[in-house]
Amino acid sequence: MSGVSVDDSDTVPAADQRSGGRRPPLRSAFTLGLLVKVAFLATVNALSLWALTQMVVEGVWLAVTFLVVATVAIDVIYLNTKRWSIPYKYLLPGTIFLLVFQLYPVIYTAYISTTNLGTGNILDKDEAIDQVVATSIGTTESGTTYVSQAAIDDDGTLGLILLDEATDPPSLYIGTSEELTPIEESDVTRDGDRITGAAGFTALTLGEAADYEQDLAALEVPADEGVIRLRTFNRAALVEYRIQYDEATDTMLDTATGVVYAPSDGYFVSDDGQRLTPGWQINIGFENYKRVFQSEAIRGPFFRVFIWNWVFAAGTVTFGFALGLLLAMSLDHPKLRGKKLYRSLLIFPYALPSFLTVLVWQGMMNQNFGIINQLTGLDTPWLTDPWMARVSVLIVSTWLTFPYFFLVSTGALQSIPEDLTEAARVDGANGAQAFRAVTLPLLLVAVAPLIIASFAFNFNNFNVIYMLNRGGPPIPGAETPAGNTDILVTYTYRLAFESGRGQDLAFATAISILIFLHVALFSAWSFRKTARLEEI
Amino acid sequence: MRASRRLIAVVAGLSIIAAACGSDDDSSADESDTTEAEVDTTEAATETTEAETETTEAETETETTEAETETTEAETEATTPETTVPPVVRAEADLVIWADDTRTPVITPLAEAFGEANGITTAVQEVNFDDIRDRLATAGPAGEGPDVIIGAHDWLGQLVTSGLLAPVDLPNAADFSEVAVQAMSYDGQLYGVPYAIENIALLRNVDLVPEAPASLEELEQIALGLVESGEAEIPLAIQNDPGDPFHNFPLYTAAGGYLFGQNPDGSLNPDDLGLDSEGGLAAGAQFQAWAESGLLQAGLSYDIMIESFGNGEAPFAITGPWAVADPDRGFKATGVNYVVEPIPPLNGTTASPFVGVQGFMVSAFAENPLFAQTFITEVMTTEDVQTDLFVAGGRPPANISAFEAAAAGDPDIEGFGQSGINGQPMPAIPEMGSVWSAWTDAYALILNGTSSGEQAFQDAADQIRALIAEG
Repeated sequence: MSGVSVDDSDTVPAADQRSGGRRPPLRSAFTLGLLVKVAFLATVNALSLWALTQMVVEGVWLAVTFLVVATVAIDVIYLNTKRWSIPYKYLLPGTIFLLVFQLYPVIYTAYISTTNLGTGNILDKDEAIDQVVATSIGTTESGTTYVSQAAIDDDGTLGLILLDEATDPPSLYIGTSEELTPIEESDVTRDGDRITGAAGFTALTLGEAADYEQDLAALEVPADEGVIRLRTFNRAALVEYRIQYDEATDTMLDTATGVVYAPSDGYFVSDDGQRLTPGWQINIGFENYKRVFQSEAIRGPFFRVFIWNWVFAAGTVTFGFALGLLLAMSLDHPKLRGKKLYRSLLIFPYALPSFLTVLVWQGMMNQNFGIINQLTGLDTPWLTDPWMARVSVLIVSTWLTFPYFFLVSTGALQSIPEDLTEAARVDGANGAQAFRAVTLPLLLVAVAPLIIASFAFNFNNFNVIYMLNRGGPPIPGAETPAGNTDILVTYTYRLAFESGRGQDLAFATAISILIFLHVALFSAWSFRKTARLEEI
Repeated sequence: MRASRRLIAVVAGLSIIAAACGSDDDSSADESDTTEAEVDTTEAATETTEAETETTEAETETETTEAETETTEAETEATTPETTVPPVVRAEADLVIWADDTRTPVITPLAEAFGEANGITTAVQEVNFDDIRDRLATAGPAGEGPDVIIGAHDWLGQLVTSGLLAPVDLPNAADFSEVAVQAMSYDGQLYGVPYAIENIALLRNVDLVPEAPASLEELEQIALGLVESGEAEIPLAIQNDPGDPFHNFPLYTAAGGYLFGQNPDGSLNPDDLGLDSEGGLAAGAQFQAWAESGLLQAGLSYDIMIESFGNGEAPFAITGPWAVADPDRGFKATGVNYVVEPIPPLNGTTASPFVGVQGFMVSAFAENPLFAQTFITEVMTTEDVQTDLFVAGGRPPANISAFEAAAAGDPDIEGFGQSGINGQPMPAIPEMGSVWSAWTDAYALILNGTSSGEQAFQDAADQIRALIAEG
């Protein structure tokens, strides 16, 4: 309703209004702020118009719809002077980015997990059919090859001037997609050795043929026992395709053996189970999820890995936080000198790239050649004994995590008013009691969300596990290769990229969706729990 | 109200003008787009390469076609997922080639000359070697892929079963070493022009061991003797960190094992796995004996291997040409007095290393397949070009006459070639994906003394079968 009143006021003689200064915001907005706004919106619109033209050409209608809706929404919200639009002006960019960069990948991953995407099932069905036929190409029994010269006639018909050098004298032909015609040497015009034309056809150089490349590559000249096609630009051969596709029945026929292949589960399969490759991508519903829970081979080490995953993530966060807090408190002492130096040094493990430092740790912990064992004269199996390896992993991940908690704890400690601990002391509490009753709860209010985030991160901390020991040492006799320090991500990695068929991407996405759900649920639950802390 | 209407009009007008300007110089915008993308790519590539070099120098050698290729990929993907995800955008050219950093400088002038001679444009895009295979899988079907890639023969299994490569017709196949052509074939169809062959061999420190050992038994005796007398620190510098099926393979075959049996047509039969065959289990027991005697040691990384042999602390090493050519620590650089020779037999059984072959392949989704086929079969096959590639990369050429020329000038190449005669192409079937991890674990368990040799190989065979069945 307020908008109406503003409009009404516009009808009142202008001089009054302006001099009265009732609408200065609009006025000043019209100067600089508005210019920026208009320029910004114009840029956004121009960009999406440009993107739209590209997308429409590509035919990606989902993206087109999203772009149109998003652009219209931006225009409507930002050109709006109504009051209701104000919150949306803040929310809209975030929402759009959330949709594009967070939600879309998750949905796409979920979608992939319901397919059979992986080695052998990358293409769509039409592409797969083309490839099955194309890769069955072979020379015919006669194995005739030709020196070829691509040519074009006045009507734009493409042809090949073919020279069979095996005969004496060499025989000449003109081949088009219609027919193969023998010609005489006298029909051919030459420039030196190079044929420049024959029987109405003008020769094309390789460069001139660039425009017709796809057509030439697909050109098949019918011959008695097969087709003649180009193998390179200068050479053609009499070839046949062993496998032929019958569109009517949607089957493949092996002309050499007479075996028929019918489509099944994303492949053409014969009655006795032989597959033709490549296959194609199909939707297989929840099969990948079923496999996680039903397959003996995968379930085998799964539980062990899952338990260790929890121990690893919880242990890393606990030890990292404890160590970080301890150091933060000791360096918080007002009389300590050189605080800045200590603090800077302690941040080192956090500041260096972890995949590098973890590898340094790996080298140091090598049982036979590592510097730790060499300096101490010990023979500790840091990475080769199952229990020792777990300890080593925790040592390294704690080493990587504590600087983070040291930083946040230092900050949080400084924000806790000293009078509170002093008050506690006045009331007769000793240091430990004051810490437990006052400092720690207040600290947790600030740090608890970070602890949860750190847990979620470490739950999927591929780098530490894989770089340090590749999840090893191996579990002897496991159903599928798995290591004593493998966590779900590294185990998934083994399953997905070292699988029996090569790479099994869809299966990997299924497991990552499960991990995502698990971590998300746990985080949500913990956030609700910690919300209570704030009431203290 | 009026104000907002005016606003809308202004915005609409401006955006139309802006969009019109945009489409006016569409072409130039496109160009700059691609260049940007290219720069991005190279950056991503260098980043990952750095990551790798920093990761384990061991992986400097991974441009070869060996076991570690798998694991490095693992690392690259894992450590820098962000940098590997953005796909390479096809350059604007008639003939687009994806090659890695060492080969790009050699191929670029060849491609340019080919383009100039024929009046087409060419572009060689630098892509991290280990990323080429996976990127082809996404970029190819999307129409953003190259026409030609440089690749390793053991990629064929995955690339061909996924339908990403086009067959290649090589009329002068006889110019190439037989094993190279065989390696580049899959299911009876040729998919690449081979250009380099690589395999590992025995490297002997001539100062410590003047005479070549006739057998692995003798080698073990000499090596352990030298360690005992203090003249050497490591008896045999062979990578095992934590276990290494690729480097151990010649020892495994000498001890009587095989990996996959063959079908009558010569292709590999994934159902016939040799790890728990009689010979395989015997080899497992042999590895246990070697671990117990100290000939093989757990945790021997690439760094330790190259430094110990390079500094004369190890009488023998089993490694490939990359360790000789490593610019800083390679055996040529450190000046250690060595010879390259075939790995000796054990009890009369030949040691057979894996042979890796690299070559040029044509994408099934090539924009200009004819140009691609013409370029790789007519330009890249010549002796001169194969020699140039050898000079640039140090990998023994697949072209026979280029190889002979290279071997005549370099006894190391001759030695690796001799060792390769006993070799067999590393299996390219996709089922190999499940072999590396399980087999690595088995070696690790044997070398740590956790499992007996036979038990470890039996477990690995069970795991591999389970994974293949899971497929």
